[in-house]
Amino acid sequence: MIRLENVTKRYSSEVVALDDVSFEVPKGEFVFLVGPSGSGKSTLLRLINRQERPEEGSVWVAGRDIVDMPANRIPQLRRNIGNVFQDYKLLLNKTVFENIAFALEVIGKPQHVISQQVPAVIDLVGLSGKEDRFPHQLSGGEQQRVSIARAFVNRPLILVADEPTGNLDPSTGEGIMRLLDRINGTGTTVVMATHDRRIVDAMRRRVVQLDRGVIVRDQERGVYQ
Amino acid sequence: MSRLRYMFRETGESIRRNPTLSVASVITAAVSLLIFGLTLIIQHGFDNLLSQWEGGVEMIVYVNSGAGEEQRLVIEGALGQQQGVTIESWSYCDVACSLSDADRLFAGDPVTRSQLTELNIPTQYKVVPLDATQVDILRGLRDRYLELPNVYSVQLAEEQLDLISKLQGFVSTYTTGLWIALMVAASLLIWNTIRTAMFARRREIEVMKLVGATDWFIRLPFMLEGLLQGVTGGAVASVAMWFINGRWTAGVEAFPANSGMTALVVVDGYEWRVGLIVVLFGALIGTIGSGTAASKFLDV
Repeated sequence: MIRLENVTKRYSSEVVALDDVSFEVPKGEFVFLVGPSGSGKSTLLRLINRQERPEEGSVWVAGRDIVDMPANRIPQLRRNIGNVFQDYKLLLNKTVFENIAFALEVIGKPQHVISQQVPAVIDLVGLSGKEDRFPHQLSGGEQQRVSIARAFVNRPLILVADEPTGNLDPSTGEGIMRLLDRINGTGTTVVMATHDRRIVDAMRRRVVQLDRGVIVRDQERGVYQ
Repeated sequence: MSRLRYMFRETGESIRRNPTLSVASVITAAVSLLIFGLTLIIQHGFDNLLSQWEGGVEMIVYVNSGAGEEQRLVIEGALGQQQGVTIESWSYCDVACSLSDADRLFAGDPVTRSQLTELNIPTQYKVVPLDATQVDILRGLRDRYLELPNVYSVQLAEEQLDLISKLQGFVSTYTTGLWIALMVAASLLIWNTIRTAMFARRREIEVMKLVGATDWFIRLPFMLEGLLQGVTGGAVASVAMWFINGRWTAGVEAFPANSGMTALVVVDGYEWRVGLIVVLFGALIGTIGSGTAASKFLDV
């Protein structure tokens, strides 16, 4: 589903975010990216959804090399990738329903599809009854659930999550991980960058460890270390 | 359909979020477009005023309305004698032609115009000289033709053309400069309004891009906002122009009939065409301003 071949990403001659990185994520897998701040985790996620381009190497997503993908094809690529962020990136002037529906509206989905898919995903993330609330009326965990619902409402092939539990207390974070696990259970490939040792250790999924832009460990059913 | 609904909803929301800048853009666009429209109207008024002197005509010999064909032949004989000597060509403007001229010349003075009929309007010989700069020769010809029977009067272009042409050039130069400068200002203000709107909505734009919205889908509501500002400015300018033109036309009736100002009005429907042009220009500056901003600042 995702393949990086000898990828190098530099932000300047001194700052090398990723250095000759190669790894592959098969369809349906759940992968943790771990490592200290500045190790290249977020850059790797940004390469997958073409927010960044590497200086060297190739990035394959769903069978396509996306490095030289023309700009007009990138929206189509991103419709297959859901994004979850540490700071949720919710629109504060929209309700839960509107935030989630927004992801479908802007890709031109008709109203009947929106009114069908949005309640289903709200139910999936456990926010039924809170459709009309605004983000400031929700807890951090609930806001992250909205963010996950927005990322998943279009049923993407891949879900990339950058520190989704970073702003949450441990028990709320566990709830979010259960939700991501359920989404992974539907066949969606999940790549998640995290610092959260407890979660990685509890989940026992594949762990790719980065340090200064280099993969130093790639372990099936790994722990944080 | 849902895309259209989305586009209009987002455009409305963007305008609601930033009303002061939107109003400023509309006012600036309206002022620049009003000056643009008035320039066109004034030019048309001058064209009316100068229409009888088109084609190099430097002298008009007015003939009494009662003059018969034989009497006109005397005048034509005198003109013919000078053809190739001092006169390049001449043409006869009959009753219908003279009435048509009167329509333009007295457009702002319907009372005087109503007194001119097929029975009393002087017909005209329009004379093109070989050398328009030889004013003394033209004055000599005028004095000679005034002595011919049934000649009502002889008018030389130098008596009104020079002054009007200078006035037209002056007005045209300065008003054109002014409307171009103001249109650039209006376009830049719309550009800035859209930039501000995009900055205010940068989070939404970021989310839209991440969930796979195309650049055009993101741009269009902003472009529509600029278009609406330009069109609204154009519509306001058209109404103001129509009002000013009406007031001027009413005011000109009080001018003396021989002041020449009675032709400096636009009452032939041209003002409606200018109104449409002004609205289209408004749409153009709105689209240019917002289109460039929406393209340039998409990566917020």
